Amino acid sequence: MVVKKKKSIQEIAAVTEPVAVEPTSDGNLRAGLEDIKTYEGVIGYILRNSTSAAIDLKDPTKIIDYAILSSSALDAGEELSELFNLGEVKEIIVEGKDVKVLSFAVGENKVSIFMDKDADRERILKKLHSI
Amino acid sequence: MDNEVYSFALKNTLDEIRNLCPDITNTFMFAEDGEIIAREENTPEKTTVRVVDALDSILEKAEAIGGIEGITLEGYNGRVNVSHMNGFYLVLVTSKKADANYVNTITRVLIPTVLKLLEKIHPTSLNGNLPSPKTESENSRVKEFEETVKKLVKETEVEKTKETIQPQIKLEPSLSEPPVNQLIVENLGGLLVPSDTVRIDNEILSQWEETYEGKKIGEVEIGTFDGKTARCKVKPIKGSKYEGKGIIQMPEKMQLDLEIRKGELVRVKPIIE
Repeated sequence: MVVKKKKSIQEIAAVTEPVAVEPTSDGNLRAGLEDIKTYEGVIGYILRNSTSAAIDLKDPTKIIDYAILSSSALDAGEELSELFNLGEVKEIIVEGKDVKVLSFAVGENKVSIFMDKDADRERILKKLHSI
Repeated sequence: MDNEVYSFALKNTLDEIRNLCPDITNTFMFAEDGEIIAREENTPEKTTVRVVDALDSILEKAEAIGGIEGITLEGYNGRVNVSHMNGFYLVLVTSKKADANYVNTITRVLIPTVLKLLEKIHPTSLNGNLPSPKTESENSRVKEFEETVKKLVKETEVEKTKETIQPQIKLEPSLSEPPVNQLIVENLGGLLVPSDTVRIDNEILSQWEETYEGKKIGEVEIGTFDGKTARCKVKPIKGSKYEGKGIIQMPEKMQLDLEIRKGELVRVKPIIE
């Protein structure tokens, strides 16, 4: 018998399909993210590519911290993938005590979606797959 | 006991985990200050340092999201999980065919238990303070600890095997090796409470009796993770408040004898004579 622990990130990753969004037009991606932002528990998103960046967060005081976190997560993902020969990175999830961040790349674009810990990630993934 | 002994104990644990789950390709642990605490032999030190460096900027900004609980990287050929537990980060790299639930079950049971054990054996060393000289009793506790880890790994493996096999066949009870349950200690008080009797779920007692073809279970052996054991009488829990919660009600005197207290885990097995 083991004391039941809080649902962890590994569990989430085990039961949901990773993102793996096919390259799409920037307009579609942006519109999809705008839609996702209206979902319950979603705090906002950061979308960036080599020439531009779009940041839409409900709490503007967090922009810098979240932008660094997003960039760090994506960079770490690439580094770890290279180190352990994991191939192309589908997604990287950073789960905090209050907020979780889902980051992934779609073609040239790099996306991070910030959400409350209890937000419905399945719904977000479904939407991402449909973009 | 010094930090080397701790690293050795944790390294053994990681090696055992890897033996248990061959789909784990690399695993190591590091402290919140970035120091590598333990790594299994397949993971070069250089790699661990690079991983910690790669994660450093995420961990630095962790406060913005309330502190890190875990990081998962999903690649097309495998996955990296970083779990924050008891002030340490456990990094696990698995191949794409790994059973994530199995790996999680094992690591979530073993690592926190091992860390708890280490903390009990010598809390200061685990917290990074100066090591104290080794004594004979500490050496024997380390040996006990290693045996406990091996036993834990074995038990976890057995549990997993049971989970896998149960849907297809009914397990034949092994009469030589009594079943072991891990239960949480709860106080048992009252005026007329005998000091030599514990109470556990009636369901567990029934399962044991079924395993031993209807033999009445009147006594159990209780083992702590520090290696202390006690033999005592057992009765079913009274009332529904504590039923089905995986607890063992224990008189305070017995808790003192075993050097445990409410909320801690113990292993309980029936005594068959």
